[in-house]
Amino acid sequence: MSKPSLRTVLLLSASVIVVAILTAELDWTIRFPAILALLGSMSYMTLALDSRRRQTTELEQLRKTCEQLDQQAKMIVRSDLELHRTQEALDRKVASLLALHELSQGLRISLHPEEVYGKLTPSLVTSFGFSKGLAGVYQSTGIVSWKALIGVTEAQAQQIQGHLQTSGWLDRLLARPSPVTVTVAQRHEASAARFLELLESSCLVVAGIKPSAGPSGCLLLAREDLGTSAEQGDEELVGILAAQLAIAIEGCALYEEAWRARQGLERSIQERTQELEEANRQLTRLNKAKSDFVSAVSHELRTPLAAIKGYASLLRSGQFGSVQPAQTERLAKVEKHSDTLTELINNLLDIARIESGRVTMESRPLATKELLASLTDLFKLQADAKRLTLSMDADGVDHLLGDPTHLPRVLINLLSNALKYTPAGGTITVRLSRRDGHIVTSVTDTGAGIDAVELPKLFQEFYRAAHPINEQVRGTGLGLALVKRIVEAHHGKIWVESTLGQGTTFTFTLPEEPARTSPS
Amino acid sequence: MGSPSTTISNGTVSTGWSAHPDALTAGETAGQMAVGRMKGHRPRCAVVLASSWFDQAKLLTGLRRALPDVALVGGSTAGEILPEGPTSHHCVVLAIGDEALAVSTGLGEAADREPRLAGHEAALQALRGFEGRARSGFLLFGDGLLTGYTEVVRGIHEVLGTHSLVTGALTADDLRFAQTYQYHNDDAVSRSVVGLLIGGSCAMGVGLEHGFAPISRMLRATSARGNLLRELDGAPAAHVYEEYLGRDLMETARQAGLTRQLIAYPLGIQLESSEAFLLRCVRRIEPDGSLLCTGEIPAGSTVRLMIGNKELALEAASRAAEQALRPLSKVSFVLVFDSVSRRTLLGFDAAQDIHRIRKIVGLATPLVGCYTYGEHAPLQGAVPHGQSVVQTGAVLVLAVGSP
Repeated sequence: MSKPSLRTVLLLSASVIVVAILTAELDWTIRFPAILALLGSMSYMTLALDSRRRQTTELEQLRKTCEQLDQQAKMIVRSDLELHRTQEALDRKVASLLALHELSQGLRISLHPEEVYGKLTPSLVTSFGFSKGLAGVYQSTGIVSWKALIGVTEAQAQQIQGHLQTSGWLDRLLARPSPVTVTVAQRHEASAARFLELLESSCLVVAGIKPSAGPSGCLLLAREDLGTSAEQGDEELVGILAAQLAIAIEGCALYEEAWRARQGLERSIQERTQELEEANRQLTRLNKAKSDFVSAVSHELRTPLAAIKGYASLLRSGQFGSVQPAQTERLAKVEKHSDTLTELINNLLDIARIESGRVTMESRPLATKELLASLTDLFKLQADAKRLTLSMDADGVDHLLGDPTHLPRVLINLLSNALKYTPAGGTITVRLSRRDGHIVTSVTDTGAGIDAVELPKLFQEFYRAAHPINEQVRGTGLGLALVKRIVEAHHGKIWVESTLGQGTTFTFTLPEEPARTSPS
Repeated sequence: MGSPSTTISNGTVSTGWSAHPDALTAGETAGQMAVGRMKGHRPRCAVVLASSWFDQAKLLTGLRRALPDVALVGGSTAGEILPEGPTSHHCVVLAIGDEALAVSTGLGEAADREPRLAGHEAALQALRGFEGRARSGFLLFGDGLLTGYTEVVRGIHEVLGTHSLVTGALTADDLRFAQTYQYHNDDAVSRSVVGLLIGGSCAMGVGLEHGFAPISRMLRATSARGNLLRELDGAPAAHVYEEYLGRDLMETARQAGLTRQLIAYPLGIQLESSEAFLLRCVRRIEPDGSLLCTGEIPAGSTVRLMIGNKELALEAASRAAEQALRPLSKVSFVLVFDSVSRRTLLGFDAAQDIHRIRKIVGLATPLVGCYTYGEHAPLQGAVPHGQSVVQTGAVLVLAVGSP
């Protein structure tokens, strides 16, 4: 039987009260208000009951709504957590990639494997989402020489070293192509558990650093507290990091190799240079000895030669009695050869003096006009005799800086040669010009020209080019050698250009301004 | 290095930093940079905030080479704040050479065993060296792994007076939760509190806000003592996290001893006097389901699980900066102590956090800071200052300048 409702109880109670009022012997003046009051109370109580019922219903609905909201809050928190973890993982990946980028920039300037391992910094380790890191060079049979310890003490590193040695883990690791993750979930594996215990970590990623050149090594990154112990992509990122380190070590090894080769080369060059310098010093010494010898001998020869020439001249003059024509002819030859020998000795002496630095070239302005005029005077007769055109062109150069004794000898020598080797009807031109702070003087003839093979030897002492004239006319072979010494003693340069059948040009330069150091 | 818009010195206050991997060089370089930017002024005190990854003894040696005979306080961090934004693995120095500023330091050791006594000692030492000058506030750095930090603050208030401004941060160790460091002159110590009493003719303003909102139903702390919250609504306290975050996560968290994920979902203690919440992060889940929190949780208090989002967090930073500036007519420098949980929440947007503060305090104001395991200041930066409260998910903006 169902329980009567409160309203039914109230109605029944009211009915009983009304019946009691009606049956009681009461005056209507009392009965009526009593019935009215009763009805009023009943109405109020009914309304109150309705209100309470509604409130109860609403409260129930509110409670349910709160529960629903709480459920929704839980859903929000879990979604937020999921988002949070995703964002954190994403941030970590971005940070890792940025760190990898920075590392690759930094590794470009690493020159030594030690430096490469030194790039494993706390910043790099934490950017990868780890809190501890070790990197070391694999030496032999599991021995690792640690180069970088991040968040790990020396004692821990030594213990890890010991574990690597006894477990043979490192050798197995280096044989694997990719990194290995060890997590708390693998605690049942004794070796893995020991690693985590030593590192006080919940997750460890180990990768081999395997360069094709240079020492191999290993990289261990661990984190101690993260709920999600094995993050997705950890192995790939650590693998990339280890590969970058390996490439950098390779680079170091190649650099080392190149550096050693270069060092070897530099050493060889230095040795050869020293040898050459020594040879050069010896040559200089020998050259000086030669010059001194030539100078001494020449000097000693010149005095008797002068005597020979003097006596030959006296004999030829008939001071010591009549001289037969045949004797006069022979005495003339003695004089002529004495002159040639004297010239040769003088040239040799001059060369020796210039080379030994005993002659100091003066640097005086020589008026070009006068110089060229004197040269014209000197050679005009010879030129006319061979019907040669002698042309002088100063081109506005009003003076040359040089030694008034020696510099004219250069031009005389060059012009003398030109006259000698230019056939009749030819042209000889002396031309002066300015170029790059130098006065350039050239002597050009329209002679037979010189074979290119002979050109480099022309300025050597005693060298005479193969020319029919040279077979007829004797020369010392010292003229051009002396010219070269004089020009160089003036801080100038001399060279020759020639075309067979067209002619030859000797060109020399002299500084326009006086040299800072006096010529040696 | 500072960008063109970055102010690193106003002559009497300057900042310097270094990320050199060698601790000695990092300390020396950061100190030299700060000294070099003081335009001839002599530094009188320095606040140093540095990564826990550095060899701390070497770091202090390097710092002392650049800043000898200077009152030095500070601590290790969970990231550093430069004017450009957040960074890590740096040593950051704020050097102060303002003659109008009076400073004195104090050290309270063994704060893990006798927190209130350590507070007394730090405050008394600082007070002895202050020689009766006008006091503006006490900048405090305490070990972020201490469980009785509220007691430390009480101890300091007992010495300095309840209306004295006590504010500062709990030092951190880059989320390793192993050992944090406090710097006092030549030494880097742990399980201690270090304070800098500041006064003279300057004033200090603080703003402490968090930006987390309640998400769970109201829960009563039916059993709690100190930092250990045993039961909520009669059930083991960890159940609230199981219920809202999921059983799997909590199981993993239990196995690993701690979950970093919980940092983003602190507990909030509803304050009776206002609608504000005091935040408490969970540091460890005990085997019996109790939660070891970063601050005290009074038994009988109403507790809610809190959730944050980036916009709320950024708005909180703006509010904190505005509060800090209120008592000042002119600001000389600003220190920001931001919770590591806010950095976790904001991720790469953490730079926005700093930018908002700089926009309010002025781009030209020297500003540095760090990420911490806790922040403490009177709520709403009230003046006269009330009891300092310890938060563990908030941003504290401390501004020093003219009253």
